[in-house]
Amino acid sequence: MVAGRSARADETLRYLSSRLVTTVLIVIGAMLLLFTLSSIVPGDPATTLFGPQATPELSRRFITEMGLDQPVLVRLWRFFSNVAVGNLGVDVISGRPVTSLIREVIPYTLILTFTALGFAALVGIPLGIYAATHRGSALDNGLAFVSVAFIAVPSFVVAILLLLVFSIWLDWLPVLGASRTGALGDEIKRMILPTLALALGWIGFIARLIRTSMLEVMNEPYIRTSRAYGLSRCLVTYKYALKNACIPTITLLGLGIGRLLGNAVLVEIVFARPGLGRLIYNAISERNYPIVQGAALVVVVLFVVVNLIVDMSYSAIDPRIRHGAARAGARA
Amino acid sequence: MSPNPLVSIRQLKLEALTARGTAHILRGIDLDIGKGRIVGVVGESGSGKSSLAACLLRLLPANVSRLDGEILFDGVDLVALREPAMNAYRGARIAMIFQDPMTALNPLFTVGTHLRDVLRRRHPGMARDEARRRSVAALSSVGFADAPLHVDSYPHQLSGGMRQRVMIAMALLVEPDLLLADEPTTALDATVEAQIVSLLENLRRTFSGSIVFISHHLGLVAQLCDDLCVMYGGTIVESGPVADVLGGPRHPYTRALLACELEDEAGGGRLVSIPGEVPDPVEMRDACVFAPRCPHVREACLAGMPALRDAGPGRRAACVRWEEVEFELSKPSQR
Amino acid sequence: MTVLRTGWTILRRVCATVTGATGLGIVVVVLIAALFAPWVSTADPDKLDVMNRFSAPSLAHWLGTDHLGRDLYSRLVHGATIALAVALSAIAVALSVGTLLGVAAAYLPPRLERLVLIVFDVIASFPSMVLALAIVAVFGPSTTIVIMIAGITLMPHFGRVARGQVLALKSAPFLEAERILGASFGRIVGYHILPNIIGPLVILASMDIPVVITIEAGLSFLGLGVRPPLASWGTLIQDGYQFLSESWVPVVVASSALAIATLGFTLFGEALRDAVDPRIRQEH
Repeated sequence: MVAGRSARADETLRYLSSRLVTTVLIVIGAMLLLFTLSSIVPGDPATTLFGPQATPELSRRFITEMGLDQPVLVRLWRFFSNVAVGNLGVDVISGRPVTSLIREVIPYTLILTFTALGFAALVGIPLGIYAATHRGSALDNGLAFVSVAFIAVPSFVVAILLLLVFSIWLDWLPVLGASRTGALGDEIKRMILPTLALALGWIGFIARLIRTSMLEVMNEPYIRTSRAYGLSRCLVTYKYALKNACIPTITLLGLGIGRLLGNAVLVEIVFARPGLGRLIYNAISERNYPIVQGAALVVVVLFVVVNLIVDMSYSAIDPRIRHGAARAGARA
Repeated sequence: MSPNPLVSIRQLKLEALTARGTAHILRGIDLDIGKGRIVGVVGESGSGKSSLAACLLRLLPANVSRLDGEILFDGVDLVALREPAMNAYRGARIAMIFQDPMTALNPLFTVGTHLRDVLRRRHPGMARDEARRRSVAALSSVGFADAPLHVDSYPHQLSGGMRQRVMIAMALLVEPDLLLADEPTTALDATVEAQIVSLLENLRRTFSGSIVFISHHLGLVAQLCDDLCVMYGGTIVESGPVADVLGGPRHPYTRALLACELEDEAGGGRLVSIPGEVPDPVEMRDACVFAPRCPHVREACLAGMPALRDAGPGRRAACVRWEEVEFELSKPSQR
Repeated sequence: MTVLRTGWTILRRVCATVTGATGLGIVVVVLIAALFAPWVSTADPDKLDVMNRFSAPSLAHWLGTDHLGRDLYSRLVHGATIALAVALSAIAVALSVGTLLGVAAAYLPPRLERLVLIVFDVIASFPSMVLALAIVAVFGPSTTIVIMIAGITLMPHFGRVARGQVLALKSAPFLEAERILGASFGRIVGYHILPNIIGPLVILASMDIPVVITIEAGLSFLGLGVRPPLASWGTLIQDGYQFLSESWVPVVVASSALAIATLGFTLFGEALRDAVDPRIRQEH
C-alpha cells in the first residue's frame, strides 16, 4: 500500500510538471509574438518618434543605441535575456525603465480586477445556487434574462452608463480618476463604480455557470444517494453538490479572467483611473512601443499564472486528479 | 400476507409525464412486507420494480404527476406525509442500496466522510472519533480486510465490488427497519457478484429488519428471499412464499419466467424467451396486462385488469383463470 | 433539398422559444439596417449641421443630433453596417485559418501538432483587448487591422473545435472503409470530413458574432478602431462620452444599439445551438 501511495504522488508530480512546461512554452511563445510585432513596426523608428526633427545622424545614433542594427537573432537573444532579469526595456520618451512604470500602475489594475471578481463571486454564487434549487421560480427566470443581458453588454458601456446615472445625474459618487488625497474613504468611493461596472456582467456569468453546473450535479446518482439517506437539503446542496459543481465553474472562470483583465483596461480608461489601461493607451498614441510590449507581456504572464493556479486548484478539489486518475472533465 | 406487516402497500399508483404522454408506471400495487422477512421483487426491465423502491423512499423524479394509494409503514401512511416528515424516515428507518456502485458515491469525498454524515444524520452530534470507530467496524463487517485504510479512501480507489460493500455498510450503519436493495449485484462481474451474494446471505443472520430485494435474477431471489413478488407491466402478478411460488407458479408470467431460467440453465438447444413485448407504460388497456403474450388467454382475460386473488395459503395471483390453467397443465396430455 | 428542410426545422425550433424568437427578431432588424442602410436611414450620416447640435428627437431627426449636428438615427443605422461587416469578415478569417490549421493539426505528426496547439494557446493567452492594443500599437488603427485582430483572436477556438471534430471523425468506420477502398487524402478531407465538421463550426461562428462586435466597439471607442469618416457604434459612444455632460442622448442611444444587437445575436446563437443539438436543450 505504501508503494501505491508514492506511485500516486509521482503521477501528480508528472501532471504538475507537464503543466508547468506548457506554461513556460506559452510565455516564451508570447514573448516571441511580441518581439515579432516590435520588429515589424513599419517605418524608421527614429522618424516615427522624433518626426521631422530626425536628422540622419540622430536616427543613426538612436538606432545604434537601441541596438536596432544588430541581426534579428542577436536582438531576440537580448530581448529574452533582458526579460529574464526583469528588464522590460526603456520608455522611449522619458528614458525611465518600463518595469518601474508598470510597477507604479499595476496595483490599481489588480485591485480593481480582483475586487470586481470577488464581489461578483460573492453575489453570483448564492444567486446561482438559489436559481438551481428553485428552478422555474421568478428569480430563476429573472436571473436567466438579466444575466444574458449583462453578459451581452460590454463592460465599458456599463461603465459609461453607470457614470451617467450615478455621477452626472445623481451626483452621488465622484466622477473621474483615482484619489488625489490618498484617503482610504475617497479611494473606496472612487472604486465603487468601476468595480460595479466590471462586476455586473460577471455576476450574471457566474450565476448562470453555477446554476447550470448545480443542475447537472443534482441529477447525478451520488446526490441521489445522499438524499436517500435523509441528509438535509443544506448539507446536500452546500457541502456535496456545490463542491462537484465547482469543477466546471473553475475552468470557465480561469478562462474568463482574461476577458476580465481586458475589460478592466477599458473601464479604467472610461473612469480615467491610473492603471495598465491608461498606461498602454497613452503609450500607443505616443508610439512608445516598449511600454506596450512590456505591459502586454506582464498581462500575459499574469493571465497564464492565474490559469496555472486554477489548474492546481483542481488537484486540491478533485482527488482523482491528485492520484493521476481520470481527468476532472469526465463526470462520475 | 403476514399478520402484522411492517409495510402495507395498498393500491399504489404512480404516473409520470413523458414526451409521448402519461406513463402509468405503477398500476395499483398491493403488497405486504412482513417484519424481519426478506421479500424478493422480480420482474423484467420496465416492470416498475425500481419505481416501487423509489416510492417507498418517496424519492421520485421531477416528472411524476400522480402518486396515489397507501403505503402504511408501521401504521403511518408515507404517501400522505409532508416532505420534512417523510425525510425523517430516510436514512433512519429506511435505507437503500443502489444498483450501480460506480456512480453511487460522490467522487470528491472519502468513504469515511460519506459514512460519518450518514451516522451523524442518524445520531445527531456524534463525535468524529466515535463515527470513525463505527465506520471502521462497519467496513470490517462487510469484508474489508484493512478497514482503517479504506475508510480514508476515495471511491475511485475502490473496485466496483468494494464500493458496493461500502454501500451495504452504509445501509447497515443506519440500523433501518427496512432495507431496500435495488439490484445490488446486477452491475457486478460474476465472481464479484458471488462474493456480494454470500455477504448478503450472512446478512440474513445478523440483520433483524425487513429487506426488499429487487432483482431480475430468479435464482438469486430463490437463494436469498423468504417471500417472492413477481411484477409485470407495473402490477404485481403473483406473490407468496418463495419456495411455493417457484415450486408451483400460479400465474402464466411466473411460469414463463421460470421456464426461461430453467431452460437456460439446462443448456443446449434454443434460447427460451417469452414471445411478444413488454407493455408500453404510456398505453393503458383495461385488460389483463399479460394478455397479449399469455398462452392461456381467453375472453374473460380482456374484461378488465384482474385483481390479486387468493391462490393458496399466503399466496396471491392476478389471473382469473389460474385454477383452470392449473387443471389444464396437470393433465398428462399437456406435458 | 434536405439541407433546406433541415434549415427550416431548425428555424422553427429557434422560434419556438421566447429567447430564440426575440434573438431572431433582433438579428433580422440588424441585418436589414446593415444591408439596406442607405435606404433605411433618413439622412446622410456625415452631414454636419453644427447650428443644430444636440437637438431633441424630431421628425427630421428621429433620435436627435450629435455634437456636430449629424443625424443620430442615420449614424446608428450605418453603424450596423460596420458592425456586421467587420464581424462577418473577421469570422471568415478565423473560420478559414482556424479550420485549415485545425484539420492540419489532426493529420500532422505529433511534434508538429503540438506546435500548432501551442500557437493556439499562445494566442489564447492574450486577453483579446491586450492583443488588440499590442497589434494596433504596431500597425496603427484601421478597419482592416480590426478585422485581423478579431480574426486572430477567434482563430484558436475554431482551430481547436475543427481539430476535435476531425479527430472524432477519423476513427469513424465509414472513413476506414473509404481508406481501404483507396480514396485519396484530398477526397477524404474535402468530400467527407469538411461537410461533417462544418455544422459545429457554423454554430460557433454565429455565437462569435457578438464577440467581434464587442471587440470592434471597444477598439473604436478608444479611437483605435475604424477611422473617420466610417463611424461604428463604438465611435458614437466615444463621441457621446466626450460630451456626456452636455447631452446624454448620443451615449444612451449608441449604447442601446450595441447592447441590443449583441444581446440579439447572443440569444440567437444560443437558440441555434440548442435547436441543432436537442440533447443540450433538455438540460435547461
